[in-house]
Amino acid sequence: MEDFGQRDSRTRFAPTNVPADAACAAQMRQDFSAWLKRYFALDPTKVSDVVLAVNEALANAAEFAYSSASQPGAMNLLAAYDSYTSVLSVTVTDEGAWRIADSERKRASRGRGIPLMRALADRATIDSTAEGTRVRLEWNHVTAAQNAVN
Amino acid sequence: MEGAASSSCAIEERHIDSVCVVSVAGVVDMLTAPELEKAISEAAKSSPSAVVVDMSDVEFLASAGMGVLIAAQDELAPAVGFAVVADGPATSRPLKLVGVTDVVDLYATLDEALGALTS
Repeated sequence: MEDFGQRDSRTRFAPTNVPADAACAAQMRQDFSAWLKRYFALDPTKVSDVVLAVNEALANAAEFAYSSASQPGAMNLLAAYDSYTSVLSVTVTDEGAWRIADSERKRASRGRGIPLMRALADRATIDSTAEGTRVRLEWNHVTAAQNAVN
Repeated sequence: MEGAASSSCAIEERHIDSVCVVSVAGVVDMLTAPELEKAISEAAKSSPSAVVVDMSDVEFLASAGMGVLIAAQDELAPAVGFAVVADGPATSRPLKLVGVTDVVDLYATLDEALGALTS
């Protein structure tokens, strides 16, 4: 697999400059899930919650960020764990303009990505500017796995 | 990057009396949700009394897949019954959290769903 600048450790997982498309979003979700399960002691519900919320942030970047562009731009993920506060934060950024208002309101069947992120994370903030969009998701009381090395 | 390996689903259709059961296994995300959408449309063509989407073996369900369920409910009801079978942190939990279960009938097992639809 191509190296997209990934630096994997027990406190940090940061694939950067990944093409913002559906296939790469799926792959990134898979890689993030493996990192999460490897380094943290979380029950299955928490694992599901975190992976789904992160997926929705990636999916929104892949679906909306560059919807008006001819080619997908880049998206970045930064997962960082603070062992002092036991907070896991995951930030997904892109350099496009989300067109949520246009695309999500067309059908009632859509638009559950943002409510999902808000429901699944302890804190969820979404900042959209002309330079791009930044989604930050945080979870409290995250415990590192005791046998994790790195 | 190869997304196909990390994101695939297997879909099977079978008939139990007048009910068409669409069983899904694996991942239902933005890559695979169109396959589920197509399978439900195909299932509806046989004029069943109801379509049941059995997600018992789904390991990951994203909002794209939830959208397919809502759209199916909109299209099938009230002429054709519609229900979803799911039970677990990756499926029934997020469906309840964002209110999909307010509009789509959810059952923990296929037997429960069939019992409710044929009673």
